[in-house]
Amino acid sequence: MSEPSIFFSEVNERQGAFHRRSFLLGGFAGAGLLALGGRLAHLQLLEAQRYQKLSASNQFNFRLVPPPRGLIVDRNGAVLATNRPNFRLLVVKDGEHEPGETLKTLAHFVPLDEARQERLMREFERTPNRTPVSVMEDMTWEQFSAINVRAPEMPNVTADMGEVRVYPHGGAFAHVIGYVAKVNREDLTETGPNSEAILLHPGFRIGRQGVEKAFDLDLRGRTGARKVEVDARGREIRNDTDGDIPAAPGKTVELTLDVDIQNRALEVMGDESGAIVVMDCRSGDLLCMVSAPSFDANRFVRGLSTAEYRALADYERRPLLDKAMSGTYPPGSTFKMTTALAALAAGINPEERIHCSGGWRFGGRTWRCWRHGGHGAQNMHDAIKNSCDVYFYQVALRMGPDHIARAAKALGFGQAFDIGIPGQRTGVVGSTDWKRTQVKRDPTWHPGDSVSYGIGQGYITANGLQLAVMTARLANGRKQLNPRLVKSVGGVEMPPGDEVPNLPFSQEHLDYVRAGMIAVANDRSGTAFRQSQLGLGDVLMAGKTGTAQVRSYDGVANRDSRSVRWGLKDHNLYVAFAPIDQPRYAISVIIQHGGLGGATAAAPRAREVMRVALLKDPEIRARIVQPMPLPDVTDLPPVGEAPEGAVAAPPPLDPGEPT
Amino acid sequence: MTMSALSRPGERDRLVVKFTQIDWTFAIALCLLAGTGALMMFSVAGSSWEPWAGPHLFRFGFCFVLMIALALFDVRVWFALAYPIYGLGLLLLLAVEFVGDTRMGATRWLDLGFMSFQPSEVMKVGIVLALARFYHGISAEDARLSWWLIIPALMIAAPVLLVAHQPDLGTAMLIALTGAAVVVLAGLSWKIIGAAVISFVAAVPIMVMFVLHEYQRARVLTFLDPESDPSGSGYHILQSKIALGSGGFFGKGYGLGSQSQLNFLPEKHTDFIFATLAEEFGFLGCALVLALFAAVIFMALRTASLAHSHFGRLAAAGVTATFTLYVLINGAMVMGLAPVVGVPMPLLSYGGTVMLTVMIGWGLVQSVRVHRYTEVTSGKGAFV
Repeated sequence: MSEPSIFFSEVNERQGAFHRRSFLLGGFAGAGLLALGGRLAHLQLLEAQRYQKLSASNQFNFRLVPPPRGLIVDRNGAVLATNRPNFRLLVVKDGEHEPGETLKTLAHFVPLDEARQERLMREFERTPNRTPVSVMEDMTWEQFSAINVRAPEMPNVTADMGEVRVYPHGGAFAHVIGYVAKVNREDLTETGPNSEAILLHPGFRIGRQGVEKAFDLDLRGRTGARKVEVDARGREIRNDTDGDIPAAPGKTVELTLDVDIQNRALEVMGDESGAIVVMDCRSGDLLCMVSAPSFDANRFVRGLSTAEYRALADYERRPLLDKAMSGTYPPGSTFKMTTALAALAAGINPEERIHCSGGWRFGGRTWRCWRHGGHGAQNMHDAIKNSCDVYFYQVALRMGPDHIARAAKALGFGQAFDIGIPGQRTGVVGSTDWKRTQVKRDPTWHPGDSVSYGIGQGYITANGLQLAVMTARLANGRKQLNPRLVKSVGGVEMPPGDEVPNLPFSQEHLDYVRAGMIAVANDRSGTAFRQSQLGLGDVLMAGKTGTAQVRSYDGVANRDSRSVRWGLKDHNLYVAFAPIDQPRYAISVIIQHGGLGGATAAAPRAREVMRVALLKDPEIRARIVQPMPLPDVTDLPPVGEAPEGAVAAPPPLDPGEPT
Repeated sequence: MTMSALSRPGERDRLVVKFTQIDWTFAIALCLLAGTGALMMFSVAGSSWEPWAGPHLFRFGFCFVLMIALALFDVRVWFALAYPIYGLGLLLLLAVEFVGDTRMGATRWLDLGFMSFQPSEVMKVGIVLALARFYHGISAEDARLSWWLIIPALMIAAPVLLVAHQPDLGTAMLIALTGAAVVVLAGLSWKIIGAAVISFVAAVPIMVMFVLHEYQRARVLTFLDPESDPSGSGYHILQSKIALGSGGFFGKGYGLGSQSQLNFLPEKHTDFIFATLAEEFGFLGCALVLALFAAVIFMALRTASLAHSHFGRLAAAGVTATFTLYVLINGAMVMGLAPVVGVPMPLLSYGGTVMLTVMIGWGLVQSVRVHRYTEVTSGKGAFV
């Protein structure tokens, strides 16, 4: 039994409860929506600026742009290192695309063999996400456009145009300028210039050797940036050119070298191994510093294959070694000027004659002169002109090593010069002190050491640069000239090499020794008369030959090194300066294991390079009315340009190789 | 047409009368919301009808017609079908459990050959209908507190557990909250409500640490500290907040939202479409849209309170509760107030299933409105 009243009240009760509760639901909904509105107001009105900044940093990105690397030019502004456009292929690891798959696809368009793909995969493992990896450099236009057309299908691939370093003169400057290469992990530092993000850019290169390394920071320039709009995957949507920060190119490094002289020097070296250094006798500027054989620095920029590198590193003539600075050789007879100066300074009378009979008994052995028949009685002038060994054996023995060492150091031996690039080896200048401290197994200076010291053997070694400095100082005749390689950096002149103290020798002594050098090249009986004729009228050259033995001649009947293997052949040297009246250029030539005499192997090359240097000099050119063509080296010497009073007849056949 | 016409039994059964009784203001509000959604989709697609804006409008048009059609069905039809629909939903959920399609680690779909759908969506309407049907038949006293309450508890628990097991935590939560809302609206004792809330709050940390799947736990934890993992799970929340905040008062302008246009904003056309709106139209646009949502909710609640039948009241209010939960949960998620749970913004977000569910719900609400004077008697006199 249900009563209607109860039924209705029950119904009303349900309705009333529902109405109360639905008000509650409405209140809940209203409160919730208001809370959302409040939250919106908080985010959109109070914190809007903060989020606008975050939004902009999402939207815009600065992409680093490597600055164009500074030029390296010669003393006349000829370009030795520059940059050229380079189409390269970049793949970025974006976490979505498998780089291995991408490489397989790319292999349809560009040559990417398995080995290269493997190498690249290892590189991908090393690089962080979103950092592009250079897959290929120097694509052709066809390859570049083929990739670009397919770019929409490969969002992780970009083909763009960068810059690559190029050395127009290939090998001639390879040792001095060095090269650039990709940045290694070892290059990166926590602080300082090598911590900058631009080093991770795939187009960035770092200087590895020579000037490129020593002046790397000057050449780098200031990194630029492109303001780009990016999407969430980091892909560029648009470039906002107004927001770009332009890159500032690196500074220009101007060298004192001369591209013509340098190129000719490398040419005349031919297949030989050695170095040629040319130095201005008045300013100290280096006009030429060549090491041969050389290598093409452009190959290093691209990245050498292991095989290529091994071929260079394993070749016995060592193309990678800079023989002008890092190779040290016994100077041989080119050292005799130093011995002579030391002797004069030690008070030895230059007119005193010493008899040479082709050999000299001392200390239980015979010290041989290069000329079996002997030179007869020699004063100092003759001894330099004829390169008489016996004379210098005895003079050196008489004054002892320390006088010689003093003179050698004054002329530049045993020291590294501040020419801006590293890599010089100082060589050895023997003295009693030096031997006591440096030669542990035999610290005593023996008289026999002095004997060979006198002719530039034994405890004396020098590099090509030191020999050129020695010659330039002798030629200058007064100043203790220093070499200079870098003329200016970014327009700022580097300190010159002629603001130096004078040589600690009397003018008289210097003139005496110089006269000896003039006689070597201009006296018909001088050791390098034939090979020193420039053929430039009254512009004459003075010089000194040298042959440095690399094996003991004891018990060797035949000194002729033509028959022994390359590594045992004598070194051939020649140092020279010209013109003799107003010395302008000094040159040193080292032919490593040339196997001939200094006059035969080194002097003709020195003459050729010297001619180029002189002919480029406007003052010298003015002096020469009609330069005559130079006859072939193997021919008899020219007569037309011989000095006044010279006899036209050729000298008698060489009795042996002058040393 | 006047109220009096509707109160006359013969008159109110005429189709034309029914048609005029639909809440057309409400219908226009729905159209405005769906249109706003399409507008944003057009923008983020780079001013293109494809791939989202066009289909969105097309689906809405279809669902709108469906809503009108359902509104004309007698509320007694809904009443009679309440349990069958619930039962069918439960069966389909069981079917999913055994033969469902697994996508991305979750088994939520049934493949019907021509289309696949989520039975959990059926349950969103089904639970409201079944509970309204149940409470229609019991007294206020019993609804407050009695042994009868075991039945609605089981009715809620069964689908919630099945859906949670798929796992689809967002939908399970939504079904549970919808069910709870109906139970509360029916007049559940405050003591029980208080006890339930307290035990729920106590259970949440335990749930998070021991019951949730790894990805679900990660979502909750990154919500609590989004900056801990800005490129991982926290990315969504952070980017959404940046989109909202950078919009400012007036917004960046239509089609100029960098966060959404450049894809920094994830799911910019679905779950996070509100952030897209906020970025391009700013606080002003958001406030207007929230006001529209408020209007829709209050119009629906008013419809519920007008109904004479207890079934109609509870069904309409239950559907409104579901809709409100959608809006609040999605809004809180987009604004960084709740974890990312995959609940879309109804009508604004792209997605057919949710739109269909919501519009069927509104069809039910309009049916309640159109038939608000219709007597619904339990058992006898039912239409079927």
